[in-house]
Amino acid sequence: MNESFGDVAIQEGRYLYAVINSGAEFDFGDIGINDNKIFTISYEDIAAVVHSCQAEAYKTNDNDKAKEWILAHNYVIDYASKQFGTVLPFAFDCIIRGNDETIKNWLIRNYEKLTKELKKVENKAEYSIQFFCDQKKLQAMVTNSDPELKEFKEKMDKASKGAAYLIKRQFELKLKDAVAVEISMLANDLCSKIKEHVEILKVEKNTSQVPDKYMEMKPIAAFSCLVHDDKIENLGEALDVINKLDGFAVRFTGPWAPFSFVEVKDD
Amino acid sequence: MKPQRDNTLVDLLDRMLNKGIILNADVIISVAGVPLIGITLKAALASIETMLDYGMMEAWDESTREWYKKDLANRNGKIPLIEGETIFLNLFGFLWSSHGIIHEWRPGTWHLTNKRLFLWRKEMLFEIALDRIGELKVMTETHLNMERNVLILEHGDGVERIYVSDILVLREEILRATATRHEKTFPKEWVVIEQ
Repeated sequence: MNESFGDVAIQEGRYLYAVINSGAEFDFGDIGINDNKIFTISYEDIAAVVHSCQAEAYKTNDNDKAKEWILAHNYVIDYASKQFGTVLPFAFDCIIRGNDETIKNWLIRNYEKLTKELKKVENKAEYSIQFFCDQKKLQAMVTNSDPELKEFKEKMDKASKGAAYLIKRQFELKLKDAVAVEISMLANDLCSKIKEHVEILKVEKNTSQVPDKYMEMKPIAAFSCLVHDDKIENLGEALDVINKLDGFAVRFTGPWAPFSFVEVKDD
Repeated sequence: MKPQRDNTLVDLLDRMLNKGIILNADVIISVAGVPLIGITLKAALASIETMLDYGMMEAWDESTREWYKKDLANRNGKIPLIEGETIFLNLFGFLWSSHGIIHEWRPGTWHLTNKRLFLWRKEMLFEIALDRIGELKVMTETHLNMERNVLILEHGDGVERIYVSDILVLREEILRATATRHEKTFPKEWVVIEQ
């Protein structure tokens, strides 16, 4: 398809921010990455939110610049969400080589998938939930409920220096396993407590670095959840209960555009 | 508790670089520039290995469930099924094991079939024929102040404590499986004769 635009047009590109649930033309102003002018390209009742650029990826080794771009990308998505309701967000640095017509063709080709996804996220938003647990309390609890670990501990206290070292190694290995199992079970417990308030729950492999106030705590589970606007208060209440439990902390962030829940593969 | 948007950047990073609509067509210029993000930013993402190790993904994440199941099957090796045995349900979970001084929750995959219930992780950790399953009770225990439902399974030789993500589903399925089995193997009149 690219070839049809010839050598001149091939240099032209469109940076994509989101697909919205409206065919209306809309001028967002110069709020894009590097203050680019943001506008919509529509087909029927949906539109892509874009800015015009060179057909070249945004790259930098400068962390501050990168941060600025990431925040600008999200700002446009947030702005679009405020105007048009939940949008389908694009990953950073998605640029289509071509012009408005190319984008329109892309919308036509993917119209069914896009409208289906828009329907799925309607009146919903993404939230991130991270659970933390007090490391020392967790270890103490696990040790106390396990006679073998308890005995190890007692042996350790009585043993000579050399022997104590070996016992300590064994104790630590066993404790590590027992704590891992307990964390996995706690994560399950937490899941069952929030499940009813969310539409879709995704387990996250990564969690952002522990904020200062949770420094002493161990992350035990991280989820991205797609939550209906009507249920957000109930979810907050359920999390409140967990957050108030001795030894637990919850980090609850959002709303975000449904980054974790858009499943559009352009094939 | 109200959702916050403090420290926005770290929350956005993972989403924007690895998620959202990603184009695969030839029109694409670039996807989520890995070279874009400096080391300090990437370091902001920590991983939670434990959950993955113990099959949290299979239990909760629809999208990776298929992948994880295959992976688990590969790691577990072939599960030995009896002839004519079909699996109704498999769920990641635990069994409380208490032998001598060793007391621990043993993780594995619970398999419910038309013949038995068993826990498998690389090897057979526990198995029981459906007709030996007695009463099933759901008990609420408290761990670190948090409530946890555990399934208590009674049988001729004792009592087992079982933990899975969704206790009620497992209980219901076991009840259904045992009911069907009883109907098939022991029609009502036979049971009467036996008694």
